[in-house]
Amino acid sequence: MTQYGFYFDSTRCTGCRTCEIACKDYKDLGVDFAYRHVYDCEGGDWQMQSDGTYTQDCFVYHVSLGCQHCDDPACVKVCPTTAMHKDASTGLVSVDEHKCIGCGYCHMACPYNAPKVDREKGHSVKCNGCAERVAEGKNPICVDACPLRALDFGSIEDIRKKYDGVDSVPPLPDASYTHPNIVVKKCPAAARAKNVAGLVANPLEVM
Amino acid sequence: MSTGFATAFSEITLVLFTTLAPSGAVAYALMSLPIIRGRLSDDAHRRIDKALCIPLIVSLVGLVASATHLGNPANALYVFMGVGRSPLSNEVFSAVIFLAFSGVYWLYSFAVKPRWLLQRLLAAGACASAIACITAIAFAYSASTIVTWDTPFSPLSLWTNALLGGPVLAIVGLRAARWKSRGNRFGRLMLVLAVVALAACLVVYALQGVIVLPAENAVASAGDLVPHYALLVCVFATFAAAGIAVDALSLFRPSVSREGKASPDEMTISVSRASVAALLVLAGIFVMRFSFYMMHMTVGISF
Repeated sequence: MTQYGFYFDSTRCTGCRTCEIACKDYKDLGVDFAYRHVYDCEGGDWQMQSDGTYTQDCFVYHVSLGCQHCDDPACVKVCPTTAMHKDASTGLVSVDEHKCIGCGYCHMACPYNAPKVDREKGHSVKCNGCAERVAEGKNPICVDACPLRALDFGSIEDIRKKYDGVDSVPPLPDASYTHPNIVVKKCPAAARAKNVAGLVANPLEVM
Repeated sequence: MSTGFATAFSEITLVLFTTLAPSGAVAYALMSLPIIRGRLSDDAHRRIDKALCIPLIVSLVGLVASATHLGNPANALYVFMGVGRSPLSNEVFSAVIFLAFSGVYWLYSFAVKPRWLLQRLLAAGACASAIACITAIAFAYSASTIVTWDTPFSPLSLWTNALLGGPVLAIVGLRAARWKSRGNRFGRLMLVLAVVALAACLVVYALQGVIVLPAENAVASAGDLVPHYALLVCVFATFAAAGIAVDALSLFRPSVSREGKASPDEMTISVSRASVAALLVLAGIFVMRFSFYMMHMTVGISF
């Protein structure tokens, strides 16, 4: 099996949402759904010094995330019907809509906010890594759409050889939970950030 | 900061399910005890048989409610593919087994000459499957990525809730069956069990508040998701204590028969009064189950 995965360069991402919109366009999604989200991470403060001047350590950076197609996906583990499954040849995680009951347990368990239940369709929906494009030898649409070339995709083995990076950066959870197939290049701000409530500044947009 | 109200409201049918089904299962098991023990008169046996439909209906209402939150119930049979692996499959499977035992028992009780040994075996099966069902529901939320649910307090609170709601519901059923026990000991014992369970619930909720509420991820903190947790616990305690008090005021009164003669073995409470008590207790449990779903938060970027 060739396990596929994403690369994300947070030193390049400007938070333009082209990846997100390209995905919505390609997948023909309505206003309530997006399979890729851009998380705006903000923090820091202004401090008054003894001489009356101010210094600041404010930061902002963006993290673009779809599904991490984890080695040990929480969504697959809890799915009662086996509808949520890993493809045997690509390792991409997707939903078999003919088995899914739309119970929402995958949504509740995924720490990457990837699966959602589409009540109109009656089943879970999520990023499938554009499996049909991958089968044609193409990249997922988000990767090709990124104007900053902040995203890449391929065999996770190759991605890890090609890029220096980590598998977790705030706001992502510790990788030990699900072993995500993602490599993230940290920007300096991400290196200082901590996983505390309020780090993600656009929760209403991404939830 | 967002609260978890929307999450809990969208899962309101599961709130109802986890309120009713465990209490109904415990009540069913408690009401079955005199049958399993034997030594019942024909008349008393048949009255309890019929009254067993009360906890069965309560459990069924919960189960039907849980099914309504599914996006596509037509695929429901696939749920059994996950038995042993998925906590949700285990929950559904054990609930089906409980319903099979209790439903078959109830239907068989309408036979002209039911075999009591078979009834006792079915009742024992229903009791065992009720315990398995409640345990499976209690552990249905054991996903290591859900930081606020993957704690000992989730199964403990569900079990203590069931042991609180079950006895007061069993009082309704046994009173409807005009059940008598020496000195009305059984009814009073049920109430003592409910009081102990209420105390245990409060300890569990206090510990949960201290240990789980400070948890946070990058998008929320559990304390913000359930902003009035202490108030909700107080509302729960008030409703539950009021329900127990309604039962206690009647059950700890000397028994008097309809004819005005002393009858110390009868339950000194009306069905309607016992029902009000049960509704109060279940309302309290509902409040805390709602807060449980409000508390949903993963180790990552969702709540």
